[in-house]
Amino acid sequence: MSSYAYGPPPLRNSVDMQLQSAFSDRNWSSVIRLAAKRFATFKDPYYEAIKICAESQLDGTPEKCAAIVAIDELVQSKKTPDLDTLELYEYACRDFLGYEVEYADGLGPLRARWVKANATSPLAVNCLQTCLEHWDLVSAQHIATTLDKTFANSSDRRFMFWSITLTFLLSISPQCTDASRKIYSMLAVRQLEKAADLTENSEKLEKTDRGLLSEEEVCLYYRVLLHHGTKEEFTSRIQSPKLGAIGQLKQGRKLLFCEALDALEKWGEWDQIYNLCREALTLGLEGTTTPFLVCDLRIWKKFASAASKATDTDAALSEVRNVLNKFIQLKDKANPMYKKNISLALLDTTFRLPSTDLNPNNDQSGLTPRVAQIGLYLDQYYERLAAFDDVKGYVAELSFEEVKTLLDDVLPKISGESPEKKSQIIIKAMESKLRYFLTTCPQTLSPSAATGEGKRKPFKCLFCSQPASLPCETCLKKIIADAAETYSQISADKELLAAIPELDRDPRLDLALAIGTSLLKLSGLRPYGSDATRSLWEDIKPSLLFQAVLLLDAQLKITPNDNGLRLLLVQLYLLLGCASYAHQLWVPMGVKRTIQDALSPLFFDRISTISPGLFHGTRPLMEPLQTYYSYTLRDPSPIRIWDAFSAGSYTSILDMNDYDKKLRTSCTLMMTLVEERRATRCFGGKIDFDIDDHPLTADIFDDTVLLNKTDYGSFTNLESVYSPPIQEYLRLGPGLSNERSHLSYLSEKYLDLLTYKPPQPYKPSKPTDAAARDRAYTIEVLSHVSETLTTLVQSQSSLPITPAEHTYYSILSLLSSAVLICLSTPRTNPSPPKTLSLLTSSIKSAAGTLRSGFNATSTEKVIASLTELHSTALARDTGIAIKLSAGFVLTWNDNENARDRSGRSALHREAIAEMKALEAAGVKVVGDVKAHFGKMKEGLGESGWLDRILEVTFPEGEEDEDFARAVQKIVGGGEEEEWAAKIADSWRDVVKGWVGVNW
Amino acid sequence: MANFRRFRPDDLNKLSKCNLDPLTETYELGFYLQYYAKWPSLFQVAEDQDGNIIGYIMGKLESSPDVYKFSEHYLPWHAHITAVTVAPEARRLGIGKMLTEQLEAAGDAGNAWFVDLFVRKTNYKAIKFYESMGYSIFRVVKDYYGEHSTDPTQDSEDAYDMRKPLKRDVKKEHIREDGEKHEVDPTDVW
Repeated sequence: MSSYAYGPPPLRNSVDMQLQSAFSDRNWSSVIRLAAKRFATFKDPYYEAIKICAESQLDGTPEKCAAIVAIDELVQSKKTPDLDTLELYEYACRDFLGYEVEYADGLGPLRARWVKANATSPLAVNCLQTCLEHWDLVSAQHIATTLDKTFANSSDRRFMFWSITLTFLLSISPQCTDASRKIYSMLAVRQLEKAADLTENSEKLEKTDRGLLSEEEVCLYYRVLLHHGTKEEFTSRIQSPKLGAIGQLKQGRKLLFCEALDALEKWGEWDQIYNLCREALTLGLEGTTTPFLVCDLRIWKKFASAASKATDTDAALSEVRNVLNKFIQLKDKANPMYKKNISLALLDTTFRLPSTDLNPNNDQSGLTPRVAQIGLYLDQYYERLAAFDDVKGYVAELSFEEVKTLLDDVLPKISGESPEKKSQIIIKAMESKLRYFLTTCPQTLSPSAATGEGKRKPFKCLFCSQPASLPCETCLKKIIADAAETYSQISADKELLAAIPELDRDPRLDLALAIGTSLLKLSGLRPYGSDATRSLWEDIKPSLLFQAVLLLDAQLKITPNDNGLRLLLVQLYLLLGCASYAHQLWVPMGVKRTIQDALSPLFFDRISTISPGLFHGTRPLMEPLQTYYSYTLRDPSPIRIWDAFSAGSYTSILDMNDYDKKLRTSCTLMMTLVEERRATRCFGGKIDFDIDDHPLTADIFDDTVLLNKTDYGSFTNLESVYSPPIQEYLRLGPGLSNERSHLSYLSEKYLDLLTYKPPQPYKPSKPTDAAARDRAYTIEVLSHVSETLTTLVQSQSSLPITPAEHTYYSILSLLSSAVLICLSTPRTNPSPPKTLSLLTSSIKSAAGTLRSGFNATSTEKVIASLTELHSTALARDTGIAIKLSAGFVLTWNDNENARDRSGRSALHREAIAEMKALEAAGVKVVGDVKAHFGKMKEGLGESGWLDRILEVTFPEGEEDEDFARAVQKIVGGGEEEEWAAKIADSWRDVVKGWVGVNW
Repeated sequence: MANFRRFRPDDLNKLSKCNLDPLTETYELGFYLQYYAKWPSLFQVAEDQDGNIIGYIMGKLESSPDVYKFSEHYLPWHAHITAVTVAPEARRLGIGKMLTEQLEAAGDAGNAWFVDLFVRKTNYKAIKFYESMGYSIFRVVKDYYGEHSTDPTQDSEDAYDMRKPLKRDVKKEHIREDGEKHEVDPTDVW
């Protein structure tokens, strides 16, 4: 950031020692006195600027604003300012920048004006840097253009490309007026077109030539063209000999080639993709580039996809195979990664072949070339950790006959060929995963309806011939039985146990995951959204869910470094209400700094509704996240952007700008603010900022699209594309989204308004005027919140929120409308609009429904309540919002009565009566929730919880006793009680936290 | 399974396979972006077919500040490997080696004398890996790391500064055979 971040700017050397030392000692009153004297003596306005700068350090508002006034005068004067003076003013109003003072309205244009007059000064670049640091793109673009014109024939090419880059950045920025946008975009394109033409038409470019030389310059051209040019311009230039993708690739530059393929794919230009891939791969074979420069799987996949879409598919695919065969001949020289890529390319190409080529004789045996190719691949790579992920997409495309052959013939053959026990076990684990995977694939079901099971199981499973739907329960049971047997076999075999550390992955982990996820499916767990009104406990078979958790928890002890398993368990424990234990599992993963934005939602999303007590730890729970955003987004410019400018990394500039925008509008950022505020409010703590005034929400408006970037990449996912990924089954509700983030933001704005307390000493001199302004402001905010909330809540038939959230936001929308009516209905009206009573009766009715949802009278019901903490928390929040809203209106009325004894400013009597009734309804909801937590605490305080949890986990006389025995055998005796104790302790922690909140 | 390409900032949202591994350090955003801003071609990633990052290397090309020009510890123009990591699922496929070779090639293209890196003295696996690629110990930086990776009773750990000469160093002037005997303080490393 600018130098003033480290203190005031140095004064000119010509300034006398006395003033210099007073200034450096920050002895502001002396500085003011001395500077005034010097100004009177020398008539140099610089001394006036020193005086203004010193005055701005004093407490009085007029003095503080003197620099702002001086800047404004300079702007109006049209004179070229003095740079030292500008530095002083910039320091003087540093605290106002970005808030009361926009850099682009004063200091930026003044710096641009100075540069125009002093373009050859080395300080001109500093001015550019300063404008960029304040993200004043208009002034920065002006400065860059001046520099470019001044140094047009210089060998420092950066001036030209700074100017173009900034012209482009401005053209896509909200800082650009609509009228100028087209001009700037055309300017950027034309300048680059000219440079591109010069490059194409010159034998050799010198550094002083205004053509495109470096990879960064060339890629900048294409980025701009992609944004502002036409498809035809782009596709034509990308084929040119010098500046085309292949021309650049010949120089070892791969970036443009990759970006061109993405652009062409977006436009569906498959012929061009085909040609580019063929040419690029051939360059490697010919030795023009290093052989494997573009031998990436994505290139092969695009090549094969493009071939399969060609007019003459056979010829195109034959060419793909031809190129691939040449690479296969080079395979021995290749790095293992490229060998693997080539094997996968072979597999991928096989799957792109027309079905007539694949099975010309219509052989029903199932051993088709596709199966054979999967077999060949697995034969080479089955031991690798990623083998399952590598083939699963292809397995999902197989017919049932092919799948059957793969499982019954191919895998046993691979296993049989290896004399080693460990290899056989790895293949068995692979088989378990594949079998589970296939329960999520529709080709394993016969379309012909089975008899007896009705709508619930309308198909027949082709594996087991039983009535089924996806997933087939009979098959899941068999998977559990087989995997458990293999697991036990490993555990009992010392030779195998000794071999495990040498393997890529412990096969017991794969088996445990297959068993665990099968149990979860059998328990009845469903992806969120398929039944929006569900209560987890009512819908599932608790014993199977608990068995799955127990088994996976035991497995984590054996393989503690497996993050996929750990993440799975974190989600499961949150689902079960064991937030403190989930936190214990979460912490060792070390999610910190940069990766928090993508990974924190996996633990922190909705955490305040599960366990506000967690926020009362030794270190504030959300502090690392808050610190990350505050530090990273503290400046208006993208972090490190000047580094990219000074290094001439033009594509980096564009990408960093894009990333910065996304980070400032991240759903995780909003989640961080809202979760913290909700928890703080729970305990009656002080919230530092209104959410609207928080520096981190400065770039968020009603129409801002907030982005969810949650990274689920580390989840172990055994599901196929036909089934939702596993995290969808485990979440408390739909993931982060733009809609939910805006709803939570608006709700916080509303609560800020209700809970606003004016500073104590605030006594306006004209109370009536102040009250009128307060009223106008409050009505404006209420209108906005009410209208936006209502629009959002009613915008979609199925919002990505939980039912409890839906109730909460709907009631907030009704409340804000009701409060608005109360405040805006003059007392002189005969009565408030009828809408008010309609609104309040809807709210009261919803409150009544909320009250009927609490019951914690038995062990089962206590556990069920623990899986419904989120709904309970939202019920509490709703009750409190009702109380606050009604209280707000009643207090408003009291204040008005106190201020204006005539009673004319008071609110309408009927409105007051409605609010009193609402307040009572809110109090009842909150009271019920409080009592509910009290009962839960009482219930959990009773003895015998270990036995109770184990009874729920392993109930006697259940039809699924086989599973219970299998799980118990794997987990081992002592583990169960230890696990049950952890669950019980965590529940107690969570409920203790709830009992301690403000009611 | 893998694609090699230049890093882009959106990759930071896909780092979990690499960075949840306890051996991989996660830095502040500014640190990653500094490398992307200054040396974008030396920041390369390997991604899997779902776009997850399964390996990356961050490096730079630089020399010591001019003010140290006459110091015995002055480092001439060289490439430096700041971080190289491969996700557990993608190990034993030569990804680390390929990423390192790419950076060495960039070092050669940038006319650097050598590539260097720091590694914990007890990270035997990594040391073996670098030795297999032609790196040798140039010096030992005493107490370079603030904590010990394997011994909780120690509050610091030495680093090996390892080097590999590049094409420019025809006479192999920038490496030494007895590097283990040359100890320096962290303050001598810039």
